[in-house]
Amino acid sequence: MTRVKVVSVFPELLGTYGDSGNALVVSKRLALRGFEVTLVEANLKSGVPNDGDFYLIGGGEDGPQARAAELLSADKPIEHALASGAALLAVCAGFQILGASFLGPDLQPRNGIGIFGCVTHRFEGPRSVGELIVAPPDDLGHMGLLTGYENHQGVTELLQGAKPLGAVVAGNGNNYGTKVDGAINGRALGTYMHGPVFARNPQLCDFFISLVLGSLEPIDDSELSAAHENLYSERIDQVIK
Amino acid sequence: MENSIISPRLRFATAVARMASWIVRTLNIGEGAALPGRVLLRIYPDAIKDLSRSLPTVLISGTNAKTTTTALCKEALSGSFSIVSNVTGANMEEGVAFSLASRDFSTGSKSLGVFEVDEAYLAVIGARMETRIIALLNLSRDQLDRVSETRMTSGKWRTFIGASPNIKVVANCDDPLVVYAAQVASEVLWVSAGLNFRQDARSCPVCGGEIEFLDSGWRCSCGFARPAPDVKVEGKKVIFGGKTINVDLLLPGQCNVANAAVALGISGLLNVDLDSAARRMSQMTEVAGRYKRVSIGGHSVRLLLSKNPAGWLEVFDMVGDDPSVVVGINSQIADGRDPSWLWDVPFEALRGKEVVAAGERAYDLSVRLHYADVAHRVMKDPLKAIVACHGDEVTFVGNYTSFQDLRKALGGSGSTTLNSVRRFGERIFR
Repeated sequence: MTRVKVVSVFPELLGTYGDSGNALVVSKRLALRGFEVTLVEANLKSGVPNDGDFYLIGGGEDGPQARAAELLSADKPIEHALASGAALLAVCAGFQILGASFLGPDLQPRNGIGIFGCVTHRFEGPRSVGELIVAPPDDLGHMGLLTGYENHQGVTELLQGAKPLGAVVAGNGNNYGTKVDGAINGRALGTYMHGPVFARNPQLCDFFISLVLGSLEPIDDSELSAAHENLYSERIDQVIK
Repeated sequence: MENSIISPRLRFATAVARMASWIVRTLNIGEGAALPGRVLLRIYPDAIKDLSRSLPTVLISGTNAKTTTTALCKEALSGSFSIVSNVTGANMEEGVAFSLASRDFSTGSKSLGVFEVDEAYLAVIGARMETRIIALLNLSRDQLDRVSETRMTSGKWRTFIGASPNIKVVANCDDPLVVYAAQVASEVLWVSAGLNFRQDARSCPVCGGEIEFLDSGWRCSCGFARPAPDVKVEGKKVIFGGKTINVDLLLPGQCNVANAAVALGISGLLNVDLDSAARRMSQMTEVAGRYKRVSIGGHSVRLLLSKNPAGWLEVFDMVGDDPSVVVGINSQIADGRDPSWLWDVPFEALRGKEVVAAGERAYDLSVRLHYADVAHRVMKDPLKAIVACHGDEVTFVGNYTSFQDLRKALGGSGSTTLNSVRRFGERIFR
C-alpha cells in the first residue's frame, strides 16, 4: 500500500472558514482508493513538515494570516515540498500569503511566499461576499464548473505570465472586473472559493490528487457520489438560474 | 409624569410600529419585531435613546448563549425589578428599538432593562442606552458573511468599553477574546464560564503569538493570561464571593450552569439575593421553545438551537441517549449564507445514532456527514424527518431559521395538536 502524507497548514491560524474540511476530503478520497493516509495538522508548535505530499491552507483573519506568512517564510517548508513533487491548495488568506505580496493587519504590504505570481491589495469598496462560480480551462481535465463561497476584502491582481485557476462565471473572484479567480502554478492551486471547495467540487479534489499520483480510479461509493452530485447541482442551479 | 418624556411624535411612531407588528404576527411572516422596529427607527431615529431614558440597563452579548443567558438573567432579577427586555432573538438595533416600544413607563424607578445584543451592535446600542452592566459571554466564528471576524469584534468591544468608564463588565475569563475586550473596563467581574471551542482563541489578540491552554487556564508568552475568576462553576454549584450557590437547573447541559453563573454575577452586582435568584432560574424548563421536549407524531422530541461550531459542542452534551437526531440547516441571512462551518463541527460524535439531514442546506450537511462516517438519510422537511424517525426519543437541532420554521410549523409555542403535524404524520405512516 502506498503511503501518503496530507498536511493541513496552521489550521488554528488559517482555518476560520471551514477550510480544514479540504484536508478531510482529500484524505478520505485517498483512503477510499487504497492509499495509507497520514493527516498532519501542522500547528505553531510542531511547525510545517517539508516531506508532505498534499498541503492545504485556508482562510483566516489578518493578524493570524501575517503570522502564518512569517512562519512559512522562515524554513520555506512548502517550497521544499513543492520542489519534491507535492501539491498545494491555498484558499483565500492562504492564497494571498502565497503570492508575491499581501497586506498586513497594519495595511502595509508584506512579502508573500512567492509561489503564485500575484499581489493582493485592500479594496476600499464592498467586501466580496457570496456564491462564486468558476470555469477552469479545459486543459485542467474538463472538470466542469466549480462552485464555492467567497468572503474577502482583499483583491488580488495576477502579475504578467501568471495563470488564473479559472474564469469567473458568478461572483467576484480575485478582483472586481477582472473576472478570474485564483491562480495555478504547476502543482499549486490558489482560489477564493470556500465551501470547503473540495467538498463542493470532488472533481477538483481528484484533479489535485492526480497532480501527485497520476491518473486515478473512480471511487466506488455510490452514496457518496450521489451526495456530492446533489450538492453540486443544487449550488449551480441556485446561482445560475 | 414619566410619560411626559415621550413626545407625541415618538408616541405616534411606537403606535405605528405596534400595528406593523400585529400585521406581521397575524400574517405569520415573522416574530413581529424586526420589521416594526425598522418602521419605528425610520419615523423616529432616536427611538432607542428616547425610549430607554431613565432605564438602567444590562446588555448581554457574545456569539453564543445570549438568548438563554438573557432569559436566565431576567428570571434571576424578576423578584427585584420590573424588567424590560427583548422580544425573543430581536437583538439588533430594530429589535431593541421595538422591544423598548412596549416599555411601561409607569413602573418608574424599579425598572431595569435586560437586553441581549448582537455582538456586532454592542457599541452602537450600548452608547444610546443608560447602560450600567455589560456581560460578555464568548466570541467564535459565526455568520462570517455578515459579522466581522472575531478579532475585529473583540477590538470594537474593547474600544467601546475603554471609552465607557461608567459601565461595569461581567466577562468570561476563559475566553481570551472576551478578556481582551473586557480588561480595559473600570470594573470587571470575571466569571469562569468555560470555553469548549478553542479554534478561534489560539492566536493571541495582543501579540499574535500562540495562546497555551492549560488545566488551570490559558496564557501567552507576551504576558496576556487568564484573569483569576471571581465566579466559578463546580458541577451544579456556583462559587461567588466565598459563597456556594446551588444551581440545579431543569435546563439541560453543563453550559447552562455556566450561563446561570453569569446571571448570578450580574445579580450580585445589582445586590440581588443569589440563592433566590438561583431558585428562580432552576424552575425554568425552556427558553423561547429551546431545550424543552414536545410530543410530535408519537416521538418525544427535544428542541435545540445551534448555529455554529462552538454551539454544537454544547449540543453533543445535550443529545444524551436519544437514539435519533434530526439536524436542520438553513442559510438565510439570519443563519449566515455560508454553511461551510459544518466542517468545523465534530459530527463524528453522532456515529451510531439514527441521523437525518434536513433543512435547505441538507445536501451540504449530507456531504459533511459522509466524510464523518455518519450513516444518515436526507429529508429536507424537518417535521417530516422527525415524524419518520424510528426512535421514540428524538433530538432536533436546528440553526436559527430552521428552528424558527419548525416552531412555526408546530404552532409557535411548540403545541403538538396542530392539524398540520397530524397531516404529515398520516401521510408518512399511511
